[in-house]
Amino acid sequence: MDMTFAPDPLALLVIGALGLIVVGAAGLAFGRHLFRLVLALGLAEAGANLLLVIAGYRWDAVAPILTGSAPAAMVDPVPQALVLTAIVIGVGVQALAVALLVRVKLAYGTLDLAELKALVERDIRAAAGIGEPDSAQAPATLPGPAGLIGERP
Amino acid sequence: MNALVLPVVLPLLTAFLLQPAGRLSAALARWAGPAVLLVCAGLLVQIALLTGGEPVTAAIGGFAPPVGIVFYADALALLMAIAVPVSALLLWPRAEAGEAGVRQSALMLLLVGSGTGMALSGDLFNLYVFYELLTVASFGLASATGTGRAYVATVRYVLVSGFGSLIALAGIALLYAQTGSLNLAQLADLAPERLANPLGLAAFACLLIGFGVKAELFPVNNWVPDLYACAGKPISALLAGVVSKLAVLVLLRLTVLVFDSPEAREMLMVLGLAGLVTGELAAWRARDLPRLLAYSSIGQLGLLFVALSLPGPAGLAAALAVALHHLLVKPALFMLAERWHGSLDKLAGAGRASPLAAGLFTLFALSLVGVPPLPGFWAKLLVLLELARGAGPFDLTALALVLAVTVVEAHYLFRLVGILYSPGEFRDRHSPRALAVAGLGGAVLVAAMLTLPAVSDALAGLASQAADTAAYRTLTLGGGL
Amino acid sequence: MTPLDTLYLASAATLAAMLVLGDWRRAGVLATLMYGVQLALLFTMQRTGSTSFDLSALGFELSWRFDALSWFFAVVTLGTAFFASWYGAGEWLRAYTGRRRLFQSALAANVFAMLLLLGSGDLLTLFVGWEATSWAGFLLMALAGGLARDAALRYLVYAMAGAMALLGALVVLFQAGGSFSYEAARATLAAMAPGPLWALIILFGLGFGAKLALLPLHLWQAAAYSETPAPGSVFLGGVVGRMGLFALALVLVGLIGIPHLQALAVPFTFLTAQDVVAWVAALTVVLPTYTALKQNDARYLLAWHGIGQGGYMLLGLIVGSALGSAGGLLHVINYAATQATLLMVVFGVRHRVGHTDLNRLGGLVARMPLSFLALLLGIISLAGLPPMSGFVSKWMVYSSLIQDGRPFLFLAAIVGTLGTILSVYKLIHNLFLGQLRAEHEQLNEAPLSMLIPMLATATLAFVTGVAPGLVLGWVADAQAAIGLPVIDYTLGGIASPRASLDMLWVVGVMFAGFGVGALLFYGAGGKTHRVHQLDNYAGGHFLDAGMRYHYSDNFYAGLMHLIGGWYRGSFHWLEGAIGSGLSLVAQGAGGWYRAINPAFYLLAASVALIAWVAL
Repeated sequence: MDMTFAPDPLALLVIGALGLIVVGAAGLAFGRHLFRLVLALGLAEAGANLLLVIAGYRWDAVAPILTGSAPAAMVDPVPQALVLTAIVIGVGVQALAVALLVRVKLAYGTLDLAELKALVERDIRAAAGIGEPDSAQAPATLPGPAGLIGERP
Repeated sequence: MNALVLPVVLPLLTAFLLQPAGRLSAALARWAGPAVLLVCAGLLVQIALLTGGEPVTAAIGGFAPPVGIVFYADALALLMAIAVPVSALLLWPRAEAGEAGVRQSALMLLLVGSGTGMALSGDLFNLYVFYELLTVASFGLASATGTGRAYVATVRYVLVSGFGSLIALAGIALLYAQTGSLNLAQLADLAPERLANPLGLAAFACLLIGFGVKAELFPVNNWVPDLYACAGKPISALLAGVVSKLAVLVLLRLTVLVFDSPEAREMLMVLGLAGLVTGELAAWRARDLPRLLAYSSIGQLGLLFVALSLPGPAGLAAALAVALHHLLVKPALFMLAERWHGSLDKLAGAGRASPLAAGLFTLFALSLVGVPPLPGFWAKLLVLLELARGAGPFDLTALALVLAVTVVEAHYLFRLVGILYSPGEFRDRHSPRALAVAGLGGAVLVAAMLTLPAVSDALAGLASQAADTAAYRTLTLGGGL
Repeated sequence: MTPLDTLYLASAATLAAMLVLGDWRRAGVLATLMYGVQLALLFTMQRTGSTSFDLSALGFELSWRFDALSWFFAVVTLGTAFFASWYGAGEWLRAYTGRRRLFQSALAANVFAMLLLLGSGDLLTLFVGWEATSWAGFLLMALAGGLARDAALRYLVYAMAGAMALLGALVVLFQAGGSFSYEAARATLAAMAPGPLWALIILFGLGFGAKLALLPLHLWQAAAYSETPAPGSVFLGGVVGRMGLFALALVLVGLIGIPHLQALAVPFTFLTAQDVVAWVAALTVVLPTYTALKQNDARYLLAWHGIGQGGYMLLGLIVGSALGSAGGLLHVINYAATQATLLMVVFGVRHRVGHTDLNRLGGLVARMPLSFLALLLGIISLAGLPPMSGFVSKWMVYSSLIQDGRPFLFLAAIVGTLGTILSVYKLIHNLFLGQLRAEHEQLNEAPLSMLIPMLATATLAFVTGVAPGLVLGWVADAQAAIGLPVIDYTLGGIASPRASLDMLWVVGVMFAGFGVGALLFYGAGGKTHRVHQLDNYAGGHFLDAGMRYHYSDNFYAGLMHLIGGWYRGSFHWLEGAIGSGLSLVAQGAGGWYRAINPAFYLLAASVALIAWVAL
């Protein structure tokens, strides 16, 4: 694939697919609302699936369905079968994610990731019996107390 | 060798039948899972004994590769495949009554079936499908504790995993666009002419990131600490132990068979080093044991990726040594964390309360740090020797970092050992099962130390077999190629 | 079964016995006997060497054997262990509140690990032994808990840093020469380019220097050694740090060789590698000795001296002449006897009084005269004055520095000795001289089980001071084993045309002088007037027995007024800076995992990059 500006439709499709992935990733990176993150994931997944379909696509061929007489040029069937599987898996994962979101909303009453992080951090600390974040930031010091230096008070 | 398919199919089938079976009889639902796992493990051991470690293949449904999909079982694949049901048996979730228990059993079976499939598959797309199945099963298991924080941690895990999977899928698409095949053996044939270009490298990067999610590879591992802190400890043990190694096995096959280029190795090494350094340093500052173990697991797997980036059978042997060591030690440590989940400072007195657990923890800590003559030392020594063999500035930097990070590791592990053995109020004792699992890990560790020559020979054999790409190709594709 | 096999078997049996019987009332006696048996076995072994078993692991050969250097260090190890164990076998053990089995086993494990280290027949075995020694030492240091645990953890960081430097050097050396054997390493090092060789020397120096507590790796030692239970502290202080010297002798002298070090120049300067090592050793003599001067705890004071004395040993060794290296090696055995004596006395005081705070003691000579005698002999030896053995080895080091034309190093050694004299005076004064505190009036002399070993080691230090030839033979064999020029010795000292020493004469003249003085004194009538300890005046005022007068706090105030500004705590600052820097990086690393979804930024960027590559 070269960088000529000729309208190579395949290249455009590849750019589009990768663009979808980038947009999805950006959504995942910048989004703070969990449901939006799930949507962004779906978007990016569409991009990946599209990429896979393009990988086996042939511009001037027919659909890979056996009709008795073998056609001259068929679209590669393997990627299409793969994409079907991938779509099914993707849907399953998204459904699971949404189900989990419901549980999260029930547990914490919010879907804002930043708030949730703080709440979970607090929960973990409380369960472990660790103090406030301030004390967690205290360095795990190499040098011991002054007495270790050898000059005892 | 169609018996090879059974250990994959049986658990999957049982997983789907378990729900209706649960309606009929609670005992059936409860015992069917472990029984099937026992059968699977037995089958796999039998196959291993029959083949004597020689690689065998099985074409599914009688379609010959590269059209049909294929299972490939060499000693390494069989070893990992056996490790899956055995680990699952040891770490089987505590029996819960009713629906929830059945659901967990089904998920465990799903995880075992897909994990075994991952170990045996010789086809990239199959690997992807099994990987996804395993991921979905692990979502369910991770959130099984039912606490809000477990759900949040799992959601983060789902998002990172989902994104990793689609990146892997994109990588598969790139690979397919370049070669028109997804069979590993055929890819190995085509790799030199079709994949020795930036696009091939991009495909590798995508697959690395994708499968790296489970393997706790550096940029996609930030789900690890929270999940291990919130999920049940047996599940953490399973994920950190055998599941991460399965992902590593996939990456190992990919690097050995398909992407055997210096650039790919450099990428592995850089990401491995980043994981090693950030993981160990974060563990140094961790304030509770589960997260300490999670961070240290990231660091250990970072070391594993550094080892994986080393060329040749010697490098592979080093990587396998690190992987097997981690596979043994980390689950045992997580089982010890089951009761020691609080703040590190509050563990004072634990050594008095359960001397066996504290002794085991010390043993594992010594082995992780790499104190001779424990196996961890020899694994680390192999890695270091191979790094020194490279002798480029890059390798030497890696060498220095691995050594420096070991000091940090020793400090935080033995700070904790010191706390365990200091006088204090901590009185919780471990469940017999947790102790048994940890004790088994310790026993195997000591046995490996005592039979070091035999173990090292076996390891070298394993590595040279896994590094033998010609055998993989001829066996999978038949003598025609 | 070779003699070395028997020795290892005996040492392992001691460890096993302590693991099983460590809680027994008489375990200390048993351990002492077993160390005695090991010592006897060692003496029946030929000094020039013996072989032991081999192992093979992962295609590497591990082998153990003894040469004269190993034998020499093994004598010091087992001798110190014997007396330390004896010291702790009686009343000390009955009063010990910690876990006895753990303690006895840790001591036995230390001895066994050190024998394994001393017997290493190749570099990999050396590393295995090194790690075993480090971890056994950690166990011994940590087992008292509390402050000792923190100190041991600090030791562990230094020891691990050293061990990892060592491991790095070993794997690089292995890949350059294809083998871990000493012969291959010697050949590889001889042919190595200056750049890599410097790197290896620095790595080896860091590795072994951490145990020897060379500057700047010395900060851990004082607290770690001092907080250990008494016999353990005696053992650690007496010999354990010397394993670093053994390994440096083996590698820097035995494998690289002094001539090679002399030929290796520091780029852009007139210094050679030998000069660098010598100066590190000299600084290790001077700075810790003056830190010792400021200590207010007797144990810490002695431990800081231990660091400085290690510097003397390395200084003598690295000069490389027959005289200097013999002095350095001889100082190992002399110092072990000296330091063991001093620590036994100090811990004896601790046993009776409950602490070793130099500001809260004094006048103990009235209650513990034999301990006083042992301490007196010990500090004379530590300060390097005749007739004690410390004089002989230090004299050899000084002479070799002068003969070798190194006046500045000589000056540094002298400055170090000055500090030693000042601080050991502080030690004996604050402990035993001055007026007895009221609360100590009912004290007893240290128990017999502690007195006998301390007097025995003091006697050893005296005897080897009068007749150094008794042990110089061992030193000469050790020199030959690592390819150094061999010292020409006599029973009384050294027979060399340029610098001969006969301690029989020196001591004879000294005691003749005393005799003449006594003759004059008693000839003049020998009028004596006994003064009570509490009988004195201050500022012209009579002080009664109720007002105790003992000057101990802020000792050397005048001196500190002059040199106090030089104490900058730079090494503590360095240690703290490294710790804080690492902590900062670690915080960043933890932040990566705490941040919400940083991976996606990276991934979006990489996908965009891939798209760009693909098109």
